[in-house]
Formats: sequence, structure tokens, C-alpha cells
Amino acid sequence: MSRIGALLLAVCALTSQLFLSTSASAQGIPQNIPRKELLILENPEGTIKNAGWFNIWAINAGSQSNGLQQAALDTLWYIDPESGLDGVWDNSLAADKPQYNADFTEMTAKLRKGIFWSDGVEFTAEDVIATVMIQIKNPGMRFSAVLASNVASVDAPDPYTVVFKLKKPNSRFHANFTVRWNAIWIMPKHVFEKVEDPAKFDFNKPVSLGAYVLNSYDPDGKWYIWQLRDDWQRTTLARYGKPGPKYLAYVDPGPPDKRVIAQLNHELDVIHDIAPEGMFALAKQSKSTVAWFKGFPYGHPDPTLPAVIFNDQNEMFKNPDVRWALALLIDIKAVSMAAYRGAATISAIGVPPTGTHPATYHQPMEAWLKDFEIDTGKRKIKPYDPTVGKQIADMLRPSMGEQIPTDPKEIAGAFGMGWWKPDPQAAQELLERAGFAKRGGAWMMPDGKPFTIRLMVEGDQRPVMTRAGSMIVQQWKQAGIDAKVDVAQGTLPTRRAAGDFDAFIGWSVETWGGHQDLSYFMDSWHSQFVAEPGKPQPARNWQRWSSPALDKIIEATRTVGFDDPKSIELGKDYVKLAVKEMPTIPLMAYNVFTAMDQTYWTGFPTSENPYTDPVPNWGNSRAMFVKLKPAN
Amino acid sequence: MLGILRDLLRYNAEFRIGTVLVGFVLLLSVLSGFSPYPPQDVYVVPPDVPPSPAYWFGTTSRGQDVFWQLTFAIRNTLLFGCTVALISRILALVIGLVSGYKGGWIDRVLMSINDTFIVIPLLPILVLFYFVMRDSMSWLMLALIMACLGWAYDARLIRSVAMSLKNREFTQSSVFSGMSTREILVQEHLPYVMPIVFSTTMNNMIWSIGLEVTLAVLGFTDINTPTIGGMIYWANQHTAMVAGVWWWIAFPTIAVVMTFIGLFLLAVSMNEYIDPRSRLSRMGRVTS
Amino acid sequence: MSGYFAYIAKRLVQFLLVVFIGINLAYVITHATPIDPVEQSISAVTSFGNTAPGAIEQMRLSLRELYGLEGSAWQQYTVFWERILRADFGPSMSAFPTPVSTLIARALPWTTGLLVISTLVSWVLGNWLGGLAGYYRNSRGLKLMGVIAMGLHPIPYYILALLLMIVFGFLWPVLPISGGSAMNLPQAWTWAFAASVLEHAILPALSLILIGVGSWFLGMRSLVSNVVTEDYVVYAELAGVKSRRILSSYVMRNALVPQVTGLAISLGGIFNGAVITEKVFGYPGIGSLLVDAVYAGDYGLVLGVTTISILGVSIGVLAIDLLYPLLDPRVKVS
Repeated sequence: MSRIGALLLAVCALTSQLFLSTSASAQGIPQNIPRKELLILENPEGTIKNAGWFNIWAINAGSQSNGLQQAALDTLWYIDPESGLDGVWDNSLAADKPQYNADFTEMTAKLRKGIFWSDGVEFTAEDVIATVMIQIKNPGMRFSAVLASNVASVDAPDPYTVVFKLKKPNSRFHANFTVRWNAIWIMPKHVFEKVEDPAKFDFNKPVSLGAYVLNSYDPDGKWYIWQLRDDWQRTTLARYGKPGPKYLAYVDPGPPDKRVIAQLNHELDVIHDIAPEGMFALAKQSKSTVAWFKGFPYGHPDPTLPAVIFNDQNEMFKNPDVRWALALLIDIKAVSMAAYRGAATISAIGVPPTGTHPATYHQPMEAWLKDFEIDTGKRKIKPYDPTVGKQIADMLRPSMGEQIPTDPKEIAGAFGMGWWKPDPQAAQELLERAGFAKRGGAWMMPDGKPFTIRLMVEGDQRPVMTRAGSMIVQQWKQAGIDAKVDVAQGTLPTRRAAGDFDAFIGWSVETWGGHQDLSYFMDSWHSQFVAEPGKPQPARNWQRWSSPALDKIIEATRTVGFDDPKSIELGKDYVKLAVKEMPTIPLMAYNVFTAMDQTYWTGFPTSENPYTDPVPNWGNSRAMFVKLKPAN
Repeated sequence: MLGILRDLLRYNAEFRIGTVLVGFVLLLSVLSGFSPYPPQDVYVVPPDVPPSPAYWFGTTSRGQDVFWQLTFAIRNTLLFGCTVALISRILALVIGLVSGYKGGWIDRVLMSINDTFIVIPLLPILVLFYFVMRDSMSWLMLALIMACLGWAYDARLIRSVAMSLKNREFTQSSVFSGMSTREILVQEHLPYVMPIVFSTTMNNMIWSIGLEVTLAVLGFTDINTPTIGGMIYWANQHTAMVAGVWWWIAFPTIAVVMTFIGLFLLAVSMNEYIDPRSRLSRMGRVTS
Repeated sequence: MSGYFAYIAKRLVQFLLVVFIGINLAYVITHATPIDPVEQSISAVTSFGNTAPGAIEQMRLSLRELYGLEGSAWQQYTVFWERILRADFGPSMSAFPTPVSTLIARALPWTTGLLVISTLVSWVLGNWLGGLAGYYRNSRGLKLMGVIAMGLHPIPYYILALLLMIVFGFLWPVLPISGGSAMNLPQAWTWAFAASVLEHAILPALSLILIGVGSWFLGMRSLVSNVVTEDYVVYAELAGVKSRRILSSYVMRNALVPQVTGLAISLGGIFNGAVITEKVFGYPGIGSLLVDAVYAGDYGLVLGVTTISILGVSIGVLAIDLLYPLLDPRVKVS
């Protein structure tokens, strides 16, 4: 036995040597790079399988948000989801806004002079033309289909002007080259013209048009390091000054617990998203962490609108009375508590309550909503309750204390304004009018079968939405409907496109955020794009809603210019129509809990300084780089 | 039978401890019938309350009482483990003994089937079954599939013991005395094999429940039915560890650890009792 | 001896049959998945960008052609087998057009290294300690070790891994908790890289070993406690042979035989990948490759990883079957 003892002692001595000799702080960060010059961000794509692939124009091949679209690439225009560095609209590679002819069949873009690729070649109209023509000639690339269906021809009358001739009138063609998360990125002609098959070319090492070039990357796909170009003045970002961080590292920090630990160890400066509880833990334990809102609800509301999306082609949901009844059975306060622990910004209308939209749509529509009436068949009721946001704040104040704002304007901004009052009696009357009957506590459809709803959720990939779905199902169950949660782990995109669902929690509304134009999503809701039952539905009209009234609004919007204030009036018409018909039940904004550590860098965007969206996988997040300054 | 149990309780410390532990866990499962909250409801109590007189084991971030959730979870997990273990033991014993004893082409055929099952990588197959079946993947279904995948390893072990037993003298004498194959297998070989069966039952239960936890953590099971794995999944979703809600993970873990230590002690002590050779050595101890 | 060669031949035929059936089974199941890789790709492309609905139908057709999903089921099946025989698993759908074999080749060394070492260490340690515990039944130290092994063994692996990560990565941060090697360190045959790999492997290996030792310990202890009552052991004890010699030459050697079977199967099983380990510690092995592939509906990659697993385990079992008669002389090769 003594031999064993000696052996154990030796092992202990060796291991303790190992522990003592390593420094604790140098564990999770890149070697050989001064920490003070490095900004570490999370890449929500996780570990990249195909790490050495930088050809963003091939579908599905490699990563997009490993820094490639945020730091290395560029395109003509940007629209900021918040207020923007210098206004919402940014002319990036373009020198000016797009010019259309009278009937929107031709678009001209003037380009900025003095911009160079990282290998010294100048950026000219030839690059834009190459981007269009190479993808048209090679169908199956990321933007091939949209370019092929819109562009009849593209020319460059001089090296800094591009003229697009379109196949049909499209007043929003420029949106394809305008970044809202991403857009059609410009290809380097001098690299891709030499390549035989652009869809199979890996573009490694990438040539950058943005301010950063690739320094190194992990062949196993866990980290990418970008370095500021020496000639950064010859990029479009230089208009706003020299970018603060010399190095950027986009990493895969692992599951949510590890992200919190990493930031507490100051090894992760920007967390993309964590569970609300993780956010609260960080806010409590770390003095240096800052989020979008100073206090509750912390998270940044992305211009996306999670909703209960019905399959409107399904027999059960064809009648708007049924959809309204289900909406009146939902208590949004409980859903907000379940999904976000109350840290949600609710919205009753089909526009996300973020960016400039509260001022453009939500506030002006308050009066209409308060007066809005529905007829349940037995009586008329006014379902809108304008105080729901305040009720949520009051609910949270006892446990959260001064983290909850008291100023009504702040409450409206953080928690949203109003929502529908839960009214089981009215719901019952509406269902009865639709021919449903309650027998023995359970609802039956007009044909006698039990009223069963399977609410599809994405499971682990979107935990907050899954929680919201579970709560809604519980509320419907309490009313006597046979409701169940259907976890579509990984299969949600397939089933969503196929229409293989009763209802699901997702979003079919996405907007620019900083700009009031709703056509970004609304155009795809035209009935011309609605698929037959059983056939795949293209984005974004997942609810397969066909409405002649909506078609008129969409067609009118198509003839109106992008910045024309008439589009706001048309947008309000859409809001009213969607409230009456309730094709989906809007819930709340998609709050992303982005946490930023101010130990090494300060100047992050927040609600008090909303110069951009801090969520790090957005192409627009490059605005952060020029505003960040070293902390000491 | 009762006399045996009484003796074991009186003389064998391991058996006593095992009984206490398993008894406690069974009590928890039985208590699930008295739970004031339906197991699948959320937000029925204030969330994130630490263990206190009002909520003995605290509450979860989903507004559920940890104690009552645990009663359901341990009940479902135990049922699951027992089902898998039972079905796969029977399969493993039958196939292992017959194959090891008979030899020849029966052995080859059975072992080819066995090898195919050993060779199939478990996790991808389980996950794929889940994808193809989605919501018809109930607990019973999962238990059946896992039982069908979990007998192979132990069948081989039993077969190798059976193979060495075949060539022993007592087997030859049984054959000469005219016993049928079934009699030989059950009366002569089974007692040798039982110790292995007991320890493999423990391993099998641990394996099946561990696999259930793995699948649950990845989100590949029916997470709405409370099980130990499901509780850990939800705790993970709400980053309980880092948020400081340690009681949500601690109590299910303690429960499952108690279950296994208890079952193991029971199996070991019963095993020792049954095995005639160790009885002799024990007799020596008692008299001295 | 010729009997042994005949035995080898028979086992080889069995091996080939088993591998063939296994791969076919995997093929059938992966192709029954309802996830459509074309829809996954399209949704990935359209979920953020502004794509006109009319364009999507065109994209769908192009992708079907590109991914080789054209052709009848039989055609796809024959193409699949043609490729396999050339060790080509085709392109990966979720990382198109990178070949699946490239992705697997990159991830496999990480998994193999970590798991082979963990398996061997826990086998040696578990069997040694288990043998001692089974033989020296009255030693208090070994009884204590038994209780610890039993205590660690049933803890769900995920909890143990999480605890280790919190203790050594957060409370007392001396070990790295993420990745296979340090960031920004080029992968080359240098001391710095090797040291970094070892450092990053400590926590994952520790978690696997702590759990693994338990089962070998318990198994060996019960096997030894059976062997100890055999006649020849009692005889040796009475004859005055030193207990250490009895332990190593008589008891362990015989008790070890079934454990060697177990080892071969465990070594084969490492090709399943340690999925949870790789998820918690961010280790770039084939386990996480598999789960990502399943989420993405990438059946080329799932099939590739599954095939490698089947081959690995089959070879392990074949090896043990060929060696077993040499280890246990009582088994006659019929």
C-alpha cells in the first residue's frame, strides 16, 4: 500500500506544479495579441464546420457573422435599426441615395471615389457589375435568384456610376443593396473573374473592402481574428474616424452558462444573447457589464415581431372570429413573465415596437386602438387595454426595486404600451358565433370534432419563444381547448415552409427599424406569393394569408417612393386591417440580451446613446468599431 | 422469503442502507399522487424562491415547486429505467445463454445479430428515431427502443461466461445425467451468471437513465413530461447554475444519486446472499 | 492452428456482413428524416435577407440540382455505395461543397486523442483499484474508495462536467474551459501547441475519467470477488504464496478477461463521440459535428459520422474476438 501512497503523492506534486505555473487570466483569450487592443465578440453561429470558407456568396458554405460581413465586406447603403451614426440612412460605397426614373424601371447609383480593396486594387463600378453578372450566370449562389428575377441589364457609363435596368417596376430594388443585417455584398471582380466555378471557390484568404483584414482563424472553426488595415483611411468607415479596436476576435463561447462565466472573467466583451436569467445574474454580479437598457428589461428589441402565427389555410382558422377568440384568451402579462421574466416590450399591432416605429406607428394609433370595437355576436366590446405595459412594470417593482422605471414615457419605451384585455366571456361568444360548442368543458368544432391546436415551437434553439408557447398553450388549455406544445427541434424551417403546422410561435414581420417603410416584409405578403396548401411557401407570409384589401395596400406602396410619407399612411392602413382580421397574434418585440463588458472598451451603443444596434452579428454593428475607445 | 429479508436487514449493513435509500426514493414517487399542482403547469408559484418552510426544496425559474416536481420526475425516471432494464435483461439472458451454450450455427447467427446491434451508434439512431417520429415518441416508445439497443453488450458478456462454463466438468455431468438444455441453463448456469446480471442491471439502469439525461439536455425528448433529465434541461435553459438557483439542479441530482447508491447496495447484498460460495465465507466470519 | 485460421476467416466474413447491414440501416434511417436540406439552406438565406418570393422557387430548383438530390431513390443509393468504396462520403449539405471526409478528418483526431486516453486511464485505474478492493475485502481505505466510486458513478455526466467547469474555470480559474487549444496559436508540431492541447484536454478528460473509473471499478470488484472463492486461489493461499503474487498472477489475470472484452468495445465506442463532453467544453470533435449535422438535416454528414462509428466499433469487436481464444485457453475454437 505504501507504493500506492508514494505514487499518489508524486502525481499530486506534478499536477500542482502545472496549476501554479499557468496564469489564470490567460486561459480563454488569443495569444500574442495585446488585450487592450482586442475586442472579443460572440459569433452566434457557434463552431463553424467549414472554417476556411470565406465566400459569402455561396449558399450555406461557411460562416457569415464571424466578422466577414461585419468587418470585412461592404455594400452601397446601410439603414440603421436605431438612429445611426449620422442619421438612419448611410451612403456607404454609394456617394448618394439611389436615383430612380419616373416609373421605377431604372435605378442609378453614384459610387464613392477613393475606396480601395485590401490588396491595393481600387473599388469601381466594375466590382458592382461583376457582383451582379457572376451571380446571374451561376444560378445557385446566394443572391442569384433575386438578381436574375429583377435585373434586365447593368452598365457602367463611367467607373463611378452604375445603371440598373429592371425587368419590371420595383421602387424598392435598392433595398437589396441596403444593409439591414445583411445585403448583397460587393464581390472583388479581380479575384472572382479568375475563378472557374464561383460557387465552389473558398475565397481564402479573403480580400477586404471593409476596414479589417483576416489575421488568423481556427481550422476547427472556434475563433476568427481580424486586424485593422494599415490603409483604413481608404475604406468607407473612415468617414467616422479611426476604429478603436486594432484587433477583433469573433469566437464561439459555448452554451449560455459559459458565456456568462466568460464575461465575468473579462474574456468576452460582447455577448450576443443569453437567457433573461443569465442577464439578470450578470447585471447583479458585474459592475462593468452594460446592456441596451440601463435597468429592466436590459435587452435590445430587434425590429422583428414574434407572434402566434396561424396557418390561415387550415379549416380551423379560416374564420377571423376564431383567431380573435384565441387572442382574447391570452394574458400577455403571464406570457411576458414566462418568456422573458417580464423583460419584454409588448405590441398589440403588427409592427415591432422598436427603432423609430413607436413614434411613427404605435403612438399615433393609440387613439384608434382605444376606440376599436369588435362585435362578439351578443354585444360590442372594446378589447384594447392601454395600461398593460404599466401593469407589467407594477408587477415587477416589488421584486426588482429601482431597476424598474417609474416615468410613464420610459415605461412605454421599455415595456410597450397596451394589449388586448383577456376576456374569456367574449372569446366564448365569438367561438359560439363561429359555430363552435362547449360540451362538458371541452370545445368542439362545428363538425363535432374536438378543437385541438398543436402550437409548434423551436425548442432549444429559441428558448424564449418556446417558453412563450408553453404559457399560451396552458392558457388555451384552461379555457377548454385541447392545446399542446409541439417541439420542432431543427425541423421548424422545413415544416414552416411546408405549412405542416396548426400554429407556431415565430415571426413573419421584420422591418428596417430605423426607417418607417414596411415593404421590407409586407411586399412578400401579397396573395400572388401565397402557395397552394401542401406546396412550400416562400418567406415571409408563413400564415398564408390572402387578403384583397391587403393586396391593394401593397400595390399602392409599390408605386410610392421609399421616403414618401404616403407610405406611412399605407402602413397605418395595414395595421388597421391586421387588427380587424388578426391573421397572426402579435406578441412582443424580439428582445436580444446583448451584454457588453466595459472593462477594456467603452462607448457601446445603449438606449441613451442609440447610434446603432449592439447585437454583434448584424452587418450594421460595424458602427460600434468607430465609437469604441479604450477604457483606461 | 420474508425470513430471508428479515435476516438480511438484521445482519447486513449494506442491505439496510440500501433499503433506507430506495425506500425514501419510492416514498417520493408515491407522494406525486398528492401533489397540489398538475406536473406540467408553469407559473403556479413565485419563481426563484430558495428552500424555505413554505417551499421545502425551493421553486424553479418557471414558477414550479421543486419538491412536487421532483416527485413526478423521480417517478417517471424510475419507471423508465426499470422498464428498459427489465426488457433488456430478458433479451440479454436468453440470447447470451443460448448462444454461449449451443455454439455452432445458432451461436453464429445470434452473434451476428448481436454484433450488428453493438455496432450501431446509439446516439444518432436515437436522435433520428426522434426526428422521424416526433410526437409519437412517448416514454414507452423510447424505453422500448433503448431496451432493444441495450441488450447487446451484456449478452456478449453472458455468452463469454456461458462459453467457459460449457467446458466445465459439472456441465458435462449434467449432460450425461440427461438434463435438457433448458434445465441445464436455468438450474446449473444461471446461478453463475446471476451476479453478472445483477451488476449489469445496475449498469443498465444507470446507462439508460444517463442516456435519457443526455437526450433531454440536447432537447431530443418530450421535455414537457417531468423527468430528472427534463428538470436539468429546463434548469439549463434558464442558466440556473450561473443565476444562483442551485436548488433546481441540486435536488434532482441528489435524488438520482440516492436512487443508484440504494439500488446498487441492495443488488450487491442480495447477490452476495444468493451466491453459495460467498455464503460459505460469510459463515466463517459469523462464527469466528 | 488451422482451426484458428478457419475461425479468423469465418469472423472476417461476419465482420463484413455486419458492417454492410449496419451501414444500410443507417442509410435508410437518415434518409427517412423529415428535414429537407434544401429548405434548411433556403431558410438560412432568407431569414435575414430581403428575398423576393418569386426568386425562391428558382433557388429551390438550383439547390436541388447542386446538392445531387435529383434522381430516384435507387440511383441515390447506388451512387452512395460507389462513393463509400472510394472512402468518399460526398459533399456536406450544411457546409457545401466541402467533402464530408474533410470535416470528419479534421474532427476525428481531437475525439480520438481525448477518448482513447480517457478510456485507457479509467480502465487501468478502475481495474487496478477494483481488483485490490475485491481482494482485500476488509481494507478500509479501499472500502472508502468503493463508496467514492459508487458515489461519482451515478452522477449524471452533464452535472459533473458543469461542476468541474465552474470549479476550475470560474471559482478557481486555472484551467481553460473551452476549445481544443489556445486561440491564435497555429496548429503545428511545436511544444507550445502540444502543451496547449494537453492543457485544454485536462478538464474534459478528468470528467470522463471520474465517471469511467466507477464502472470499471465496480465490475472488476465483483469479478474478483467471484474468482477469489475459486479452489485454486484458496489452494494458493493455503500453500503460502504471497498475497501480492496471488493477486497479480492468479486473481487479476483471470478476472481481467471479460474486462478486456469490455475495453475493446469501449475503444470501438469512442467513435460515437462524447457529445455532451464536447458540448460543455467546446471540444471540436465528431460528437458536436454529429449533433450540428442532425440539426441541419445534413444527412451526408450524419451518414459519414455514423459509418465511421460503425467501422470503428466493428473493428474493435473483431479484434477482441480474434484475441479472445489466445487469452483464455479454456475456450476452444470450434
